Amino acid sequence: MRTPSLLAIGLALLAPALLASPARAQDAARRGEALAAERNCGACHGERAVSGTPSFPSLAGQQREFIALQLVLFREGLRDVEAMRAPSEGLTDDQVEELGAYFASLPHAPPPDRARRNVGAFNNGAALASRLRCGVCHLPNLVGQNQVPHIAGQREDYLAGTLKAYRDNNRHGTDTQMNAVVQGLTDAQIDAIAHYVAQR
Amino acid sequence: MSHRVRRAALAGALSLSLAAPVLAQQAAAPAAPPSWAQGRSADQANSPLAPHAPRLTATPADRIPLDSLRLPDGFRAEVWAAGMPGARMMTRGEDGTVYVGTRTIGRVYAVRDEGGTRTSRILAQRLDNPNGVAVRDGALYVIAINRVLRYDNIAANPNAEPVELTGAFALPSEAHHGWKFAAFGPDGKLYMNVGVPCNTCTFDENRHALIVRYNPDGTGREVMGHGIRNSVGFAWRPGTNVLYASNNGRDWAGNDAPDDTLHRLSRPGEHHGFPYCSGNAWQDPGHTGRRCSEFPAPVALLGPHAAALGMRFYDGTMFPEAYRGRAFIARHGSWNRDNKIGFDVVTVALNEDGTQGRMEPFLSGMLEPGDNSFRGRPTDVLVLPDGSMLVSDEQNGAIYRITYQR
Repeated sequence: MRTPSLLAIGLALLAPALLASPARAQDAARRGEALAAERNCGACHGERAVSGTPSFPSLAGQQREFIALQLVLFREGLRDVEAMRAPSEGLTDDQVEELGAYFASLPHAPPPDRARRNVGAFNNGAALASRLRCGVCHLPNLVGQNQVPHIAGQREDYLAGTLKAYRDNNRHGTDTQMNAVVQGLTDAQIDAIAHYVAQR
Repeated sequence: MSHRVRRAALAGALSLSLAAPVLAQQAAAPAAPPSWAQGRSADQANSPLAPHAPRLTATPADRIPLDSLRLPDGFRAEVWAAGMPGARMMTRGEDGTVYVGTRTIGRVYAVRDEGGTRTSRILAQRLDNPNGVAVRDGALYVIAINRVLRYDNIAANPNAEPVELTGAFALPSEAHHGWKFAAFGPDGKLYMNVGVPCNTCTFDENRHALIVRYNPDGTGREVMGHGIRNSVGFAWRPGTNVLYASNNGRDWAGNDAPDDTLHRLSRPGEHHGFPYCSGNAWQDPGHTGRRCSEFPAPVALLGPHAAALGMRFYDGTMFPEAYRGRAFIARHGSWNRDNKIGFDVVTVALNEDGTQGRMEPFLSGMLEPGDNSFRGRPTDVLVLPDGSMLVSDEQNGAIYRITYQR
């Protein structure tokens, strides 16, 4: 095996050709914006992808990689959600990446109809989230990373529904981690976590 | 305790593992950690290490890291096929078509070489981790988690509907480590792994952590090896018909233990140690019921957390004499290690009686130690009739071809 230093130098020289430039990402986001308009994503997910529609998630500021992976799961029929069948049909891989780049580029914001904080539920949810170590994968500020979604400030009804779907094995991610994490939680516990996360 | 398992509506959609025992309204129901996080010690509880995200979209041709690949002198790599997100295990049909299994994206690809250019198509989709592909008597076998499909006379009928063999094989349905590597042995039997449905746990040792073989119709199940935590690659040493299997060691036992291993299955039904003993005679502190001295030592150590997956013996003649008969092993690359290792292809040269081997690097350059990042994940190797070798790269959905010219 070559020494690490030589290898690193060799790779560093090659790196610029391999990394997506900011301009490239901007182009992708622009094409994603046009595509999102064409597919009418805003009708359910909100004009700037901040959702005012119960049970439909906000996508603004979401992790690019998470969006792309979920769109592939929808397109391939591996995540079966009625409302996403037509919008994901026939998307090319490039379009999937472009939609990911677009939604990731939008400023995150809480939904316009976010409820007022219930201190008791918030504290219960915070304690549960701490015990379940949500912050390891979703990061302490719950903004996610790569395939792990940004959940802070997401719609509370959507979060609760998603956690229940994981608990009841009605939903998988790209792996089965979330199913195990929420295994055995009560509805009340899930509601508290959803409230806490939505208020972050 | 009720098991609530609801199957997804689509045929062949993700099967549901981890059948959740629903604890009715218990206030302090402690959630089990996800399978990959079981066995973590207290001082690792806040470790940020987590499995790497898959990539499910095609890598553009100009971003396939071909130029990063490093090989010994005289060897050369080319992109043989690309545009197949999630490409993993490979097998070759009699007509030269290469079939490629995947995990998350649920597809099986077929790659045809026509006049020096390759075309690929999606042969099957919406399957649950169809990692296992094997060809026998003109039929392609696709093995997903708890699903076995046979495509008869695949070369002449590329769009034939498969014969459903799922019931006959009756594979366990657990998703974690439930994806299969599959290959036909010299005895005409279909061999596959059954991984352990956890990181480390107490489990039925006749049901999990196995290499099993079946008649091609799913009858006659026999356990060829026990205590092999999760093998995602095995092959028979040329000239001996002895089976060798790569094996993935457990996570969360520190950066340097236990090693992944190469096992020699010389006696059918022998126990190879998991969960008691792994790697280099590493006794698991959580499983002390049996000692390392009770088990055959592995033939070679393949690196801690390196994810040694697909392996084949080199039985071609294009590569130099020194490489003939060696095992080539794709190391998918670590996630459960602070300083990543693997993301390469290594060789293991065996001694005369095949009981000991020595690991050497072969293909590297996917791992960048400078910032601890990786550019690709070698997953399987396959020797072609001309003696060249294919290497699949799951992260880039690409297959490289390695040739040698003096």
